Amino acid sequence: MKSYLRYSIPCLAVAILGFGLSLPAGAQATDETEYIVRPLPPGGPPPLLANGRPDLTGHWFPNGAGQGVSGRFGVDPAALGTFDREATPESPPVFQEWARARIDAMTPTELELSKSSVNCMPRGVPAIWLQNPYTTMLIHKPGLLAQLYEVLNNWRVIHLDGRPLPEYPEPLFHGNSAARWEGDTLVVESTGFDDRTYILPNGWFHSDQLTVTERYARPSMNYLIVEITVDDPEVLEEPWHSAPRRWTLGDGEVYEFYCTNNRELEELQLLRELELAQEEEQ
Amino acid sequence: MKTSMILGTAAVICALFVSVPPASAHHAFAAEFDSESCRDFNGKLTRIDWQSPHAFFYMDVENEDGEVENWSFQTYALITLRRNGTGRHLFVQNMGEDIWVRGCLAKNGRELYAAAGLLRFEDDVLRQVGQIQN
Repeated sequence: MKSYLRYSIPCLAVAILGFGLSLPAGAQATDETEYIVRPLPPGGPPPLLANGRPDLTGHWFPNGAGQGVSGRFGVDPAALGTFDREATPESPPVFQEWARARIDAMTPTELELSKSSVNCMPRGVPAIWLQNPYTTMLIHKPGLLAQLYEVLNNWRVIHLDGRPLPEYPEPLFHGNSAARWEGDTLVVESTGFDDRTYILPNGWFHSDQLTVTERYARPSMNYLIVEITVDDPEVLEEPWHSAPRRWTLGDGEVYEFYCTNNRELEELQLLRELELAQEEEQ
Repeated sequence: MKTSMILGTAAVICALFVSVPPASAHHAFAAEFDSESCRDFNGKLTRIDWQSPHAFFYMDVENEDGEVENWSFQTYALITLRRNGTGRHLFVQNMGEDIWVRGCLAKNGRELYAAAGLLRFEDDVLRQVGQIQN
């Protein structure tokens, strides 16, 4: 944060002088614009399915721009991220004492090793909506909602035919889901999760008592809003509610992404071994 | 041209601080790389490994003793590179050519290995190919 403040003011002047002079092709600022990537406008009313419900179909980007923003120059900060922490603050989860102690005991390296972005385990639900920088394509039919996650080439099918949750759910990365409509919001409740996933990349683990509620809304053509509730009475003191997370409509490819060559795992394991050796010496 | 490059470079580096949130929940850069050990690298591109999740490219860099060392650099995820306009073809087209990289060394002490943040091929376009800490 200090870096942010220290560099902001002088950088504004430099940016005005410098943008457009040696930026990547396709990233040139125009004379009239400060930013070349801005938040998408609402885009009019959402499309509807034959049954009159909002059609969630689209290629959704986890930001306000409807395109990739990482590594791009001239991105309006208002287009970054899935929510504005000041406008829609998100309370932290309230952990039971034993769970808090377990998380606090993790070293930074252990924390990093636990991340699916390092160990290539599936993110699972709800993390795939909370800690996923890649896109998701939704294909929505009256009877089902298919979710094609770019990350790790994962996918999920949610049936919309009113079927109940299974009586004996097996532990799955994406859980076992049942869906219903509440007005124009699709509500998906899921139980039965593989306990190797984390809710957020901060060590927040879960128990086999985890229940996740996803609420999907498409208030306009260009915006998908996803809200998550996490209930886990063995780990949390109370249910946790996410901020409304915005995803914006884009186009282009849903890229192949099989995680087969992640050297971070090896490098971090080596670092952890060094840390353990140092701890033994002390 | 030189002035333009300096201003453009400064603008880009500034843009990183101004427009990119300092913390990343996806990867904690600081867990693996040392933001206090970043430096410039000049050398010839020798290899590109384009496999998910991250690309790795290699370059021959002359050390202070005049010996040539082959360094490897980790980049953003391939998807991120593609979406910001840095495709594999650029590495292939620049194989054997001089490139410039700003990168940070690994914390685990692995030699000749760093995270690439900024990169410039011979076209002089400054490209962000990974997180930059300084």
